[in-house]
Amino acid sequence: MEPGAPATINQSRDAPVASTGPWEGFTRFLGRRDVLPFLLLAPVLIFFIVWNLIPTLWLLGLGFYRFSLTSGRPPRFAGLYNYRSILNDSGVWIDLSRTFLFVFFAVVTETLLGMALGLLFWNSHRLPGRRIALTMLFSPMVLTPVAAGTFWRLIYDPTFGVLNSAIRGLGFSSVDFLGDGRVAFAAVLGVDVWMWTPFMVLMTLAALASVPKAELEAAEIDRLAWHQRLRLIVLHHGKFILMLGILLRTIDAFKTMDLIYDMTYGGPGSATQLVAMTLYRRAFEAFNMGWSSALAVILLLISIAFTATFIFVLHWRERREAES
Amino acid sequence: MATKEPALPSLISPNEAASLPRRTLLTGAAALGAAALYVPNIARAAGKEPHPLAGQSIHMSILGVAGWLPSSLGVDMSPDFARYVKDRYNYDVTFSFAGAPFGALFQKAATSLATKSQEYNIIISDSQWLGALATPKWIVKLNDIIAQDKSLDIEWYAPVVRQAYQVYPDGTNSLYGFPQVGDIEGIFIRKDWLEAPGEAEAYQAKYGSPMPRTWEDFEKMDLDDWKKLVAFFNRPEKGYYGIAMQYSREYDALSCPLISFIRSMGGDIWDPKTGQVEGIMDTPLNAKAMELYKSMLQWNPPGALNYFIAQVVDAFTQGKVFAAWQWVATGATMVPDALKGKVMVVPPPGFKDASGKLNRNYVIGGQPWVINAFNDKAHMRVALDFMRWWYLPETAANYLKRGGLPCDKATLTSPGFDDIYPWNRTYKYMLERSSDFWHDPRYAEMLAVQQEGWTGYMTGELKDPAKVLKYIACKQQGILYDEGTAQTEPTGACSGIRL
Repeated sequence: MEPGAPATINQSRDAPVASTGPWEGFTRFLGRRDVLPFLLLAPVLIFFIVWNLIPTLWLLGLGFYRFSLTSGRPPRFAGLYNYRSILNDSGVWIDLSRTFLFVFFAVVTETLLGMALGLLFWNSHRLPGRRIALTMLFSPMVLTPVAAGTFWRLIYDPTFGVLNSAIRGLGFSSVDFLGDGRVAFAAVLGVDVWMWTPFMVLMTLAALASVPKAELEAAEIDRLAWHQRLRLIVLHHGKFILMLGILLRTIDAFKTMDLIYDMTYGGPGSATQLVAMTLYRRAFEAFNMGWSSALAVILLLISIAFTATFIFVLHWRERREAES
Repeated sequence: MATKEPALPSLISPNEAASLPRRTLLTGAAALGAAALYVPNIARAAGKEPHPLAGQSIHMSILGVAGWLPSSLGVDMSPDFARYVKDRYNYDVTFSFAGAPFGALFQKAATSLATKSQEYNIIISDSQWLGALATPKWIVKLNDIIAQDKSLDIEWYAPVVRQAYQVYPDGTNSLYGFPQVGDIEGIFIRKDWLEAPGEAEAYQAKYGSPMPRTWEDFEKMDLDDWKKLVAFFNRPEKGYYGIAMQYSREYDALSCPLISFIRSMGGDIWDPKTGQVEGIMDTPLNAKAMELYKSMLQWNPPGALNYFIAQVVDAFTQGKVFAAWQWVATGATMVPDALKGKVMVVPPPGFKDASGKLNRNYVIGGQPWVINAFNDKAHMRVALDFMRWWYLPETAANYLKRGGLPCDKATLTSPGFDDIYPWNRTYKYMLERSSDFWHDPRYAEMLAVQQEGWTGYMTGELKDPAKVLKYIACKQQGILYDEGTAQTEPTGACSGIRL
């Protein structure tokens, strides 16, 4: 602060006695209203810049270079070569379409199952064993995907797996869940549903908690049918939280890699090769960093598109309802 | 380094010896013998060899293959090295071990080395990575070191050891690695199943020829003979299968045995001198090899399409299969206590050429030690001391005893080597019939393309082996041309090629 400048509010409040030492001057500087907010934000901003912004910009730049980490050569500027190569790569398109299928089936199944289970647990406070049941229900969600993948791989094993043992016990022949290209995709999808349905249960319970009791009581007095109550009151109030859950699951399912890595490594053949696995293999097995960066940028844009679409739909419906 | 202990001084002259009574002579000889046992310790106590690290304490980090016995032996035996250098050079050394599975190990090493880190002072590399590690100058070139220290200039059992684990580029004299473990493809079979009552008679009745029983019988077998044998023991209705082989798309699981088929049948996958792939990879002979390898699936357990090393170990040790096509370095894991005495390890099938001669040209496994080029002086010195110690005869003997597979001629030709473990004889035999494939820096990219195509064919996703081979040839030709290894770019036939 300039000498002789008028005292700020903070000064008058915190430092009524004028002081001239450097430390006091520094603390007065920190206490200024126009400085303090930035100081408080600084750690987050620094973290964001170092860990998000710089790597993202680096990634964007690297996508325009041909660069193999193991060739010993410096990166060579190649313009849009990597992007053209990806667009002309039928394998990437097939993996991408397989990923969209995975996302669609996973998110739809998890949402429907999650909502159904959430409604079952709604207003069940007096149900004996509710807490234990909820804890058990949520436990798959808190497991690391690698652990879940490992024990599901063993459960699915066609020779000594417990699931096939049960199938054989019922008189049917074994199913090669992860070795048969026709069923491997569904088998991996099943594990994802098992892991992440609890998340949608959690979101549903949160959504249901946001529903005003008065409106529900009024609906009960008015004798609204259950589906009308669900649509007009429950979903009306809980849709934002549910949509948030769907959005998070969509983005997360789109990135699925760890589960695939552990269970099938994308196989058999390419039956379970999702695009995140393709990215992993090209980046960290083939070390083709330029190409992988370009693919990562494309996947980032797709994720952003998902988010934007969901937010648009949510706001569009809100606007429409407000207008009507 | 193997330095000779100081010679014992002559305590009595030859003339005196001749005049001494026999008992005195024997007593003296016994005393001398006892003294000889203590002389090394006396010498050590008297004074250790001068060493720049004397009095210092160094920590070394080794990166190796997780869950892989030969890698872990390198670390398990490190306390012996610590004692050795303490006694000899008076410095302390401790070790830590970082590991990753085969498919992720190179990634772990490369991402660390790319930042010029000495996080891992010594790395157990896979043989095919030498080019990828040497080209960016991440690992130490060893020619000068070996030239100055003859104890590191070791005579290997077969030329392939040097070619696979030391040399890059192929055909040159540039050395980058020291063999850590040798490894070859062999077949583990259940001897007790072969010897079970009634089996030999049933086999004879079914095929009209005697059942193979001895190692020599298996040496003479071609793929057709093997097919008969594994078909005979394939009893899925009882939960038993003929053979477990690797078909996974992970790392090089399928590539190694399939390339062995291709080469043993007289084909190849590229020309290392010109980098040419097209016209070598995409041949009818290679397509035939793919069909043959796929035909073996019918005698594999369900789920074999995802089999890599660990899954084959599981299938074999759980008694689900009669035979397992496997790297012999897994021997200690493949033959647990419950199976000791019940397992034989034999050479994989030969392939008859036009003259009827059996050919075996299999892919070599195994890993070399490589030394981080970013090590500081102290760590570099310890790394080299470690290598000198590793190749001491007593270290090699201890390594062998613990289930490791050395590559030096002295150990492999030592009396009784073949009988120490059931896989030792086959190891030696196949070492002379094995060779490596690429050492190219773009190895990983070429492997990814190859695994994608070949596993697609094995699963039935892709029907035409010729088309798969053409796709692989085109992609690999493009990679090598881009790298500058291949002299010609992909032909017009590769334009827009898809699987």
